[in-house]
Amino acid sequence: MRMLNKFLILSLAFVAFTFISCDKEDDCTLTCNADEVLSAECTCVKLNTSNEVRVTTNVTANTTWTKDKVYILATRVTVTSGATLTIQAGTIIKGEAGTGANATALLVARGGKLIAEGTAAAPIIFTSIADELSPADVAAGNFGSPNLSSDVNGLWGGVIVLGKAKISASKDNGDVSEVQIEGIPTSDPNGLYGGAVDNDNSGILKYISIRHGGANIGNGNEINGLTLGGVGNGTVIENIEIVSNQDDGIEWFGGTVNVKNVVVWNVGDDGIDTDQSWAGTLDNFVVIASTGHCFELDGPEGTYMAGHTIQNGSIIASSTGRISEDLINVDANSIVNLKNLYFTGVMDGQKVNRVTAAGVTFEGIQINVDASVLLTFINGAVPAGITAGTTSKANISGLGWTWASKAGAMTGL
Amino acid sequence: MRILITVVIIAISQLIIAQTGTVRGTVLDKKSAESIIGANVLVNESGVGTVTDLDGKFELELEPGTYKLTLSYIGYQSIVVENVVVAPKKVTVLEDVFLGEDALQLQEVVITAAATRTTEVALLTLKKNSSVMLDGISSAKMKLIGDGNAVDAAKRVTGVSVEGGKYVYVRGLGDRYIKTMMNNVDIPGLDPDKNTLQMDIFPTNLINSIVVSKNFTADLPADFTGGVLNLETKDFPEERVFTISLGTSYNPSMHFNSNFLSYKSSSTDFLGFDDGQRALPKLARNSRIPTPISGASPEQVNSFVKSFDNQLGAVRSNSLMDMSGSISYANQISLGKNKENGGSKLGYMFSLSYKSDYKYYDDVEFGEYQRLIDPNSYEILPATVQNGSIGERNVLVGLLGGVAYKTQNSKIRLTAMHLQNGESKAGKFEIVNDGERVGQSGYFAVSDNLEYNQRSLSNVLLNGVHVLKDKNWEIDWRVSPTLSSSEDPDIRKTAFTISEVATSFSAGAGGNPSRIWRSLSELNATAKIDVTKKYQFKDNEAKVKFGFSQNYKKRDYEILFYDIQFFGQQAWNSSDPTAVLNNENIFPSSTNGIYYQSGNREVNPNEYSSNVMNTAFYVSNELYITKKLKTILGIRAENYVQRHTGRDQRYAAGDFENGKSFDNDKVLDNLDLFPTANFIYNVTADQNLRLGYARTIARPSFKELSFAQILDPITNRIFNGSLFQYDQWDGNLVPTKIDNIDVRWEKFLANGGLFSVSPFYKKFSNPIELVRIPEQQTSTEYQTRNVGDAQLFGVEVEFRKDLGFIGAGFENFEFNANVTLVQSELEMTKVEFDARKTYEKTGENITNKRQMAGQSPYVINGGISYGNRDLGINTGIFYNVKGPTLFIVGAGLFPDIYTKPFHSLNFTLNKKLGKGDRAAVDFRVANILGSEIQDYYQSYNATNQTFSLFKPGTSFSLDFTYKL
Repeated sequence: MRMLNKFLILSLAFVAFTFISCDKEDDCTLTCNADEVLSAECTCVKLNTSNEVRVTTNVTANTTWTKDKVYILATRVTVTSGATLTIQAGTIIKGEAGTGANATALLVARGGKLIAEGTAAAPIIFTSIADELSPADVAAGNFGSPNLSSDVNGLWGGVIVLGKAKISASKDNGDVSEVQIEGIPTSDPNGLYGGAVDNDNSGILKYISIRHGGANIGNGNEINGLTLGGVGNGTVIENIEIVSNQDDGIEWFGGTVNVKNVVVWNVGDDGIDTDQSWAGTLDNFVVIASTGHCFELDGPEGTYMAGHTIQNGSIIASSTGRISEDLINVDANSIVNLKNLYFTGVMDGQKVNRVTAAGVTFEGIQINVDASVLLTFINGAVPAGITAGTTSKANISGLGWTWASKAGAMTGL
Repeated sequence: MRILITVVIIAISQLIIAQTGTVRGTVLDKKSAESIIGANVLVNESGVGTVTDLDGKFELELEPGTYKLTLSYIGYQSIVVENVVVAPKKVTVLEDVFLGEDALQLQEVVITAAATRTTEVALLTLKKNSSVMLDGISSAKMKLIGDGNAVDAAKRVTGVSVEGGKYVYVRGLGDRYIKTMMNNVDIPGLDPDKNTLQMDIFPTNLINSIVVSKNFTADLPADFTGGVLNLETKDFPEERVFTISLGTSYNPSMHFNSNFLSYKSSSTDFLGFDDGQRALPKLARNSRIPTPISGASPEQVNSFVKSFDNQLGAVRSNSLMDMSGSISYANQISLGKNKENGGSKLGYMFSLSYKSDYKYYDDVEFGEYQRLIDPNSYEILPATVQNGSIGERNVLVGLLGGVAYKTQNSKIRLTAMHLQNGESKAGKFEIVNDGERVGQSGYFAVSDNLEYNQRSLSNVLLNGVHVLKDKNWEIDWRVSPTLSSSEDPDIRKTAFTISEVATSFSAGAGGNPSRIWRSLSELNATAKIDVTKKYQFKDNEAKVKFGFSQNYKKRDYEILFYDIQFFGQQAWNSSDPTAVLNNENIFPSSTNGIYYQSGNREVNPNEYSSNVMNTAFYVSNELYITKKLKTILGIRAENYVQRHTGRDQRYAAGDFENGKSFDNDKVLDNLDLFPTANFIYNVTADQNLRLGYARTIARPSFKELSFAQILDPITNRIFNGSLFQYDQWDGNLVPTKIDNIDVRWEKFLANGGLFSVSPFYKKFSNPIELVRIPEQQTSTEYQTRNVGDAQLFGVEVEFRKDLGFIGAGFENFEFNANVTLVQSELEMTKVEFDARKTYEKTGENITNKRQMAGQSPYVINGGISYGNRDLGINTGIFYNVKGPTLFIVGAGLFPDIYTKPFHSLNFTLNKKLGKGDRAAVDFRVANILGSEIQDYYQSYNATNQTFSLFKPGTSFSLDFTYKL
């Protein structure tokens, strides 16, 4: 029996060792602002005094968002196939905060349509919930954020438009070619794009400013300001501004859509990014102080080969505290005509990374440096199409509506 | 401390017992190796006697002297054991005495006490006569060889290889098809995603046997295919065990290395768990955490950021050597000796073990490679390559205790076990990403990775065995609950992206700094009852066995994720991660303006709860059709219901229409029948021919049948649960059914030698493999899927023989070899075949057949050992290798990934020292060849490229054991 007692002690020691951890209850110490209430979960929730509409589900039927309201993206809102989302000129859309699976975005899936026709006087603005910009500000012509600096990024996702036009992707299974768009978790099939309909129509995007976005879903996998995956040339995209996105400004993944009158300002990665044989033209644009490459232009990834044209652009390659990496970054297999581009604000170390790619042509490109040092900004022999010079190439007269223009970021172009 | 005192008290109490000595022994049936219950044991000199209990065991307490014992049982030939020496306060053990059937009424057989101590006779007899094809190692052999723990012992079992010092492979089949049990009960491993139990915590002196069954009988769980390993702990040790052992291990490339990487440990890390230092800050659980844009004040944001541990960088410092120690105590007490009915006995055991290991891997490499679409470009090219080093500190504490009570006809035992394991990891890497590859943007980054993983497992087993009615009925019942958990508190990754013009965090390149908390807890409860009835069939003993078991498992899992964000511009003087969370960088500071952003929705797609109820019945009958042909026919029914509570990202994101959500919904509901037939033909007394057929199953795990997306922060690779649908995958993962046919011819040689040849065939329908998800090209993602049907042919040859035939002096050498060759063939799905065809290279001929994933084409185990009982020396050199094994199925852009053969050559030397072999020294050299652990990409005509590479180096270890 004595032995049994010993075992009891041993067992108790054993049990004590087993259950060592313990948890403490939370106590909330948050104090809220006057226009907020404290919720049970210890968060400050804004009193709903405004005309805000919180969008929590996908757009699966034809829907119109009107300019008298502010639309809050509470999630990744998808315009599904067959549905059309119409956004009136002057409407403000704000994304809630979040990263990873929690990131908010507007996604137009294949077969869905976005009709967002802003005007120079009443642009459509996508921004963060943190932005205090109001419909009254827009109506009064104040398009800049009253409280957020133009270099705050990563507060929400971005705008993604997907279509059925050809892409040169590497997952060819013989017939169909479709892949998952960057920035959307693989598990959401609404993120698939690509097809064979080159005149596919995903709608109309005019006078749109997209700001403070770029939330990531995993390292190296995040949402661009405007992502265009397999978008067909039946789609109209013009007068677009991207401000302070954590990833690229605009990225094309194949497709045939043409885009014109673009401003990309203070983005955290590449200004203009193309992949998978985008077969369209970017015309008349300004890129200012993106901290990745100014241009990141990749080649085809599959057997389908097509190229694009980038023309009439002015690029400011640095600003205070912000320096771009490569001026132009192309792959050995890239297919692109670069025409009438002007680089200014160029710093030592910045380069055109490759001039030997067979599919890449340079024409009328000027770099604002002394002709004697032009060589140091080119990786290789200077092509005939690149010269030292000071002629701005973009026509910025129609871009005065942008925040970048109003903030004076385009001065000198 | 209290434990130590208690152990000392128990030890002292043993010394007060009277000045007599004890004889203990086991009586077994020569034919079946089963224990004989109720055999008579008579002391010739005094006429005192006793009978054997339900384990065939007896015990006599005698005055010091030399005796003759007569062992007899009706229908069996009696045996007289001479020269049984009884010394005061000592236990004399007659290990296994075999009684043969008394066919010819011959005179009794006379043997000496020493002769009962031959090695492994019982196990070999068991093997010879067993219904299943089994291999194993007994406590007697473990004692003789002197292996310290169960892993070393298990390696000696034929056809078994042990990976990473922990996990068991049988016949080259990996974890999915292998199962480990303890005391015949399914218990989860410390690693909840593995089937197999970590075995290096069991000291061999508390193990009764390790047995591997390579084919299925109805009384075993149906979810294994390669083999099931059962580790049986001791309940009534023959002799008192009280040992203390201390050990150390030195690896020149890892220890006393000033480059060793670590980070701040908590005050309880040395015990294998975190004291709360890495706990998630309270407010971080809220759905809206304080950020500059959440409405929180700058002070609130600032103090929230500071509530996280501020270390993000790995620190270089000196590493120590590995240390281990254990103490174990076990004994039995007779509560009525020399009784005619055998009396009753109390057995008990306790063990505490502690291990602390330091590992340092230099030149660690992780690579992501892609094929080119051009059919004439053969080489595969790097998308991302990471090079760096990792330092690990691993602490393992094991506690094992048990108490057992038996009478002549009943036995009840209670064992309890707790394992606590903590692993702290710190790494530094350089990451090169090539923007020219598909889906890649091109960057260079330097990263610091900090991780901590703590696991615990607590298991209790209550087991009863009862023999009824003239010993013809035996009832065995077991109840065993297990609680286990695995936590990864605060996994930190900080990667500066460095370009020619700037050093900063870039979400589109090396990523922003991130922190992850993962938590898993699991409950596993098993109850089972087995009933055996012996009867006579045509004058031969026959047995019918039936039983019922129920197993309930429940798992809760959650991942929480946080990203560091910068409110405004970044400005860093250097890429020093230790300075990142300095006060001047934290919001509301205008430079860097650090705050945390939450990656967690109110409804978390990365949280799930799953449970399983598995109810099984079986009946099995064993009989001799003729004197030489034994049959075992059986059938088992398992009703397996798995339920899942979880939701996909779309549902969690508010898309209730297209999103999927499960609320304790059935994801598996199968009633399966598992028939089995085994035939054993005794060709001659030392030759058997066996034939077996069985149907078995391999079921998806909780993780596999979920919506979880689990990121490995170092490699940035993501595992996806199989419930996600893709255009080539319907999200419906089903169990793999396997038909097994096994043949074995075995010849038993003198002195424990053996030669056997075992051809086998297995047919898999719906095998489950890990597949690269082709749609996702930016991040590296995998998913387990059912792939096409597969089959394999194999042959296992085993040879074990002493080298006495060479000449005198060689009889103490033993050569053993076990070679398995397997040809596996899987028929690809059309999707996989088409994807491979698209990337077919000039000269390559792709068919729709390939090797099965996880199946090694060959396994070679071999060794030469020398054992001299008189000198107390046991030494040997052992070699093991597995052939190149398909690890992850690629196809298309992404090449297949294979595991490279690891040529493992190890040396062991065990020397017993001192009077009565009280002390023992064990010296081992592991990985003499300095092999590397590598997985690699393979593509037609291309140079193989690294998927992952570790260099473990050669280690030297020394253990000292002392018996008190």
